[in-house]
Amino acid sequence: MAIALPALLCLASGFLLIPLAWPRRSPNVPDHLFQLSLSVGYGLGIYSIVFFLLRLLGGTQLVLVDLGVFAFLLVTFYLFRNRRTIVNVPPVAETMRDRPAWLPGVLTASFAVALCAALYSAVMRTLAYPHGDGWDAFSIWNLHARFLFRGGPHWRDGFTPLLPWSHPDYPLLLPAAIAHFWSYLGNDAPAVPAIIGLLFTFGTVGLMFSALSILRGRNPALLGTTALLATPSFIELGTSQYADVPLSFFILAAISLLCLHGDQRHNGFSHGSPGMLVLAGVAASCAAWTKNEGLLFLCAIVLSYLFVLLHDKATTKSWISRARPLAPLLAATVPAVLLIAGFKHFIAPPGDLLSDPAATLQKLLDPARYWAILRWYIKGFFLFGRWLLLPGTLLLLGLYFAGGKAGSDKSNAAIRTSLLTLALTLAGYFAVYLITPYDIYWHLRFSLTRLFLQLWPAAIFLFFLLLRYSPKASVQPGSVSK
Amino acid sequence: MNDGKGITATVAFALCCLLSSARLVVDAPNPKHPPGNIARQSDQRFSALKAALPERGVVGYVGEPGTPALADYYLAQYALAPLVVDLSPNYPLVIGNFPTTPTGSTSNDLQLIRDFGGGVLLYANRTSGKDNK
Repeated sequence: MAIALPALLCLASGFLLIPLAWPRRSPNVPDHLFQLSLSVGYGLGIYSIVFFLLRLLGGTQLVLVDLGVFAFLLVTFYLFRNRRTIVNVPPVAETMRDRPAWLPGVLTASFAVALCAALYSAVMRTLAYPHGDGWDAFSIWNLHARFLFRGGPHWRDGFTPLLPWSHPDYPLLLPAAIAHFWSYLGNDAPAVPAIIGLLFTFGTVGLMFSALSILRGRNPALLGTTALLATPSFIELGTSQYADVPLSFFILAAISLLCLHGDQRHNGFSHGSPGMLVLAGVAASCAAWTKNEGLLFLCAIVLSYLFVLLHDKATTKSWISRARPLAPLLAATVPAVLLIAGFKHFIAPPGDLLSDPAATLQKLLDPARYWAILRWYIKGFFLFGRWLLLPGTLLLLGLYFAGGKAGSDKSNAAIRTSLLTLALTLAGYFAVYLITPYDIYWHLRFSLTRLFLQLWPAAIFLFFLLLRYSPKASVQPGSVSK
Repeated sequence: MNDGKGITATVAFALCCLLSSARLVVDAPNPKHPPGNIARQSDQRFSALKAALPERGVVGYVGEPGTPALADYYLAQYALAPLVVDLSPNYPLVIGNFPTTPTGSTSNDLQLIRDFGGGVLLYANRTSGKDNK
């Protein structure tokens, strides 16, 4: 029962935070599922930060502080819940509706089978590998969690240059969230990181299904989510207690919130409501607090959105006015950026990436490294995911060329921003491989698949958003109310 | 995508997804016979040593040579946290971890304090100038 209180606090805090910025009113189940899935990640993120700050300040009254944070969110919710501007969004017109009557049944059955298979595999793996599967689980993430929990006031001992292989500069969302639960339990039960892994894995599935349902209807949502559930590496990595799937959760959350903000049914409204952008900023912040790649993603989404806003040819406003919609997203990232900067500067030893500027420059000028990474990118594009017979990327390409093609939403600023963000993040990964201090082939071999999987849920989401499934009836603007 | 080709592609896509779902089910491990629960085994291996060591500080480490043995070192650190285990013998207390060659270290500077069994040993370094804290 000791686990019930922090679990309840996490979920309830996420539930209180999200409606404050959620500008939609819809009777649809997907809206509620989206908020529920998001609440899981946000709740874990909030109490991860609370736990870390408490350790930093030497506090010991964890339960009191947690209840204080929850009370603050509760009061804020009741004070501001009636001041929000709400848009009444009509449910999306069911897409693929001109299909044979049996098709939705086939898609639903496929989804159900894929969900059962993924659940079975995830549970079996969690029971078989209670401490995680793979070195990173016990040499990085759970090790940091043990230092935060077992170390008590001496938790900083774990973030020493004596253990460079444990990457003490890695952000702490996952370790601190685990240590938070362990503190309530009073022991470092392996079930905690295992359950958190499951929550992020199936939370990502929930986000994908609900976001696609909201924006494109049930059938594309079923198809897209089936593709994610059937990606063996995604389910396997999600139960390995690595941080890549939690990162993919926050990347998908940020991208889908951005696209919800750009939903054409909000025409004439969304630019006045910062809610979705604030939530997208919070998701990008959580990504940055999860892994260093998340920090790269945060920079990519800010730069991409700025670029798209400044290159909006439909307006003649000054560049300051055009960049103004970026402000809510940017403002929401400031606390996390300060937190991460503080952690990196005052606690963590320097990372190994830029330890030798001369060698870095030499690597940047070596064309063989570019060619090697490019070859691995191409190979990885077809091989990652451990699909049986046909790679998932090829299947998506097949679906596209069989008649899907990109729809008119290519002109949507949010979708353009999302695509540019993923491209910039991939380019950033490329740059990291270029200057890696490790053997480049060793580094590519042991990490490229995981990096692709970080972006895979967001890529599937954008693919089905762009596929020409949606009839024009689905983009009618909603009505605004207080 | 309203033609027969599109519908065929959609159904083929779903079926191909299910092939990979089948792989997930077939490859799922049996929890009764886990392929190797090394972290849990490591916690058990080091539990007696952990009780004999100070609660915090830094201790040295010697183990078997070669890159594969690095995993043994990582697992030792995982089991003994929040004690920091440095991959160096230059500390007053040094852990020996020799899961496959239980003869231990042959260094003259290391004096065996206690053998915990299973290749887990505790040494004192007679020449180390470093403090444990």
